[in-house]
Amino acid sequence: MTLLERDPKAPQAWQGDLPVTSRYTFGLAGERFFRAIKDEGRILGAYCPNCDHTYVPAALFCERCLAELDEWVDVGVIGEVHTFTLLYEGYDGSPLEAPELVAFIRIGDGGLLHRLGEVRPEDVEIGMQVEAVFKPQDQRQGSILDILYFCPLSGS
Amino acid sequence: MTANNQNLPGTPLSEKDFEEGNILFNYDDLRGDFAWDTGVAIGSYLQGFKDGVILGARCSTCRKIVVPPRTVCEWCFHPMDEYVPLQNTGTVNTFSLCYVTWDVQRITEPEIPAVIEIDGASSLHGIMHLLSEVDPQKVHIGMRVQAVWKPVDERQGAVTDILYFKPIEEV
Repeated sequence: MTLLERDPKAPQAWQGDLPVTSRYTFGLAGERFFRAIKDEGRILGAYCPNCDHTYVPAALFCERCLAELDEWVDVGVIGEVHTFTLLYEGYDGSPLEAPELVAFIRIGDGGLLHRLGEVRPEDVEIGMQVEAVFKPQDQRQGSILDILYFCPLSGS
Repeated sequence: MTANNQNLPGTPLSEKDFEEGNILFNYDDLRGDFAWDTGVAIGSYLQGFKDGVILGARCSTCRKIVVPPRTVCEWCFHPMDEYVPLQNTGTVNTFSLCYVTWDVQRITEPEIPAVIEIDGASSLHGIMHLLSEVDPQKVHIGMRVQAVWKPVDERQGAVTDILYFKPIEEV
């Protein structure tokens, strides 16, 4: 119960916007991982001999035994579709012009979350071998998007 | 930045490292749009600024007039009785000479945020605002000040429709 009333001319809401900008650096291991993608078109992992485990993307420390990792390995550009989904909405909830295939691609003992390309949704299978398709080198920026998508291995 | 950070663990980065491409990074520019419901009393308060009025509210039980207005008295929890248009003038309750801006840039001419008890409200009831048109060294607690408003057509229904408070010339 209140006796006071809102001024009928009063605005319903106060509106504003905050300038929120950020710079995310990838850390020591991330820097080297993305440099390899940018400069050499290679995907790097880090091997823990103690746990016999290959981290992809490469990590600085083993999550299992906490050892510092210094065995960097080229894990190739081919992986296996571990799981996938067909997205109809963008990250802000707006409908996409065309649905997009997104998959977790197992590489080594880890893997990457990325798009699938050059394949129809009905032809995607779990366990399917896929290969990274990189941007031309002069367009790479040191980002996971330097890989355009993963596409099925020809002949598979 | 403290000079000690050379001795701390980690990998220090400078602006140059970003500019010259020594370090990879991901830049993001998020949309921080927001809106909050102004509510009954604050909505009316903001609209008051558009009309060139500082609005308060009165509790007849406590015989208090508060600013900004509230719908419920914070002492007796009774609903407030009425809005009260207050004066354009007030008294400096406290102030600060501020040599850094809100985003931590150094400035040579200080900003002077102050709490100003508004005439017409109960004693010790006031709002935070800025002082200007005054020699920073001459600002003092108890100084009499008056609001300087934006031109009517530029007002937005915001506390910044008052540009600042300036001293009342003592005749």
